[in-house]
Amino acid sequence: MKLYERLMTIDRRIIYGILLAVVMLPLIFPSVVKVTPMSPVEKLFTAVDNTTDDKALILDCSYSPQIKAEVEPMAIAVLRHAFKTRKKVLVLSLYVEMIGLATRAINQVVEEFNATAQTYEDSIIYGRDYVFLGWQPPPIVPMLGMGESISNIYVVDYYGNETDTLQMMERIRNYNDISILVALSGSRIPISWVAYAQNRYGLAVGVGCTAVSGADFYPYYQTGQFTGLMVGMKGAAEYEELVEANYAVKGRRIASEAMLSLTYAHLAIMLFIVIGNIGFFLHRRKK
Amino acid sequence: MNISTDPWIWISSILSLAILSFLYRENPFFRAAEHIFLGVANGYLVTFYWHRILMPILFRPLFQQGDLLLIIPFTIGILYLTRFIPRISWLVRIPIAIYMGYWTGVLIPATIQAQIIKQVQGTVLTSANFQSWNAGAWGIVWSVIVFIGVLCTLSYFYFSREHKGVIGVTSRVGIVFVMIGFGAAFGYTVMARISLLIGKLQFLLGDWLGLIR
Repeated sequence: MKLYERLMTIDRRIIYGILLAVVMLPLIFPSVVKVTPMSPVEKLFTAVDNTTDDKALILDCSYSPQIKAEVEPMAIAVLRHAFKTRKKVLVLSLYVEMIGLATRAINQVVEEFNATAQTYEDSIIYGRDYVFLGWQPPPIVPMLGMGESISNIYVVDYYGNETDTLQMMERIRNYNDISILVALSGSRIPISWVAYAQNRYGLAVGVGCTAVSGADFYPYYQTGQFTGLMVGMKGAAEYEELVEANYAVKGRRIASEAMLSLTYAHLAIMLFIVIGNIGFFLHRRKK
Repeated sequence: MNISTDPWIWISSILSLAILSFLYRENPFFRAAEHIFLGVANGYLVTFYWHRILMPILFRPLFQQGDLLLIIPFTIGILYLTRFIPRISWLVRIPIAIYMGYWTGVLIPATIQAQIIKQVQGTVLTSANFQSWNAGAWGIVWSVIVFIGVLCTLSYFYFSREHKGVIGVTSRVGIVFVMIGFGAAFGYTVMARISLLIGKLQFLLGDWLGLIR
């Protein structure tokens, strides 16, 4: 069998095996990769950072298990940033299957902070520092309704407390009291936030999305409809880098740990594409 | 190596491996995991909708607290089920018409504003758009490229005239922009899929086998 014929008939399982090794080895034998934050992520970080004491930020954790690897590190990084800088946070999910993952991210970050807190003031307290609003269907109802009154839409929070009775909610009434909404999603939900909440109430919308959505979402960042943008695991790693560089927040940086594997995997795929094309052109010339 | 003793992590890991085994070839382990996923996902959704929507928003207020106004949405909702009774199946058109009317009214203005007007504004050559790139004088260059790209791509999708002459040139330039767009989307898709593999391996090698931190 000629070389080009071999190139054209490589068993896909060999390619999977090579990719598996390329991704797995840097995870087992890690090494540091410097991640340079790009402008879209920096702008999101700055917007969260600029949240004043009288305002809160909303974190929309609308990501499902299949994209957890890309988006959950974003949720954790944003929560670490917000809690470290004592921003008030409202967390919600727009779909039911995403509730569990949102709870998981919140619990993890709250435990991290409370494990090292010395006093009650240092601790992250439910109702004072953050509120988990839970889920209210259909998505358009909270998107539009929170512009008038958050507690009318979420009469009770996820844990069954009356929202109005929570300390933090005394001053957080509607979008006028929200500095930015960070939508973490693998679908077109961020565009819906722009279409309904931003168009009507002027809400600033920052986005963390999967890499698949990245190419679709950049035009919205360019027009200023998205205040900032994190794309895929790399975007999450950039945000993690900014949080650690600016506030020295310690904690496992899942996305940053994955950057070496991601880099090698990209190089491997580029190599496969080149080899595949060489095989294709040699095969065509032979014909 | 510090293997997990948590049974849930073991269940999750074994099911993950069963699903990944499809990469080798179709097999009973993959099928079993697939069916378990479908069953669990449906069961989860049904119970959650029952406990978090139907009970607190409809049944409890209507039947226990006497909020009679809820009879209206309840009745309209029930009409969806009439499609299973051929004699009165036409009644299903009522909730569908209400649903379509509502969504059309809500979607069209918002979509036009967010996805057409604002996007068109983003392609206009103004100083505000030049500055939006945050790239100094290069902002003009990027804006001009976007402007040319949008016009040429639109001309490629203009099918009312044969692509000859000026339209022929612009449509050929347009297809270059389209291909670059496809390339960017493909690159991002590769990154996304590899990220998911990394996430799964972080779980299997870390949480399950304890090979990484």
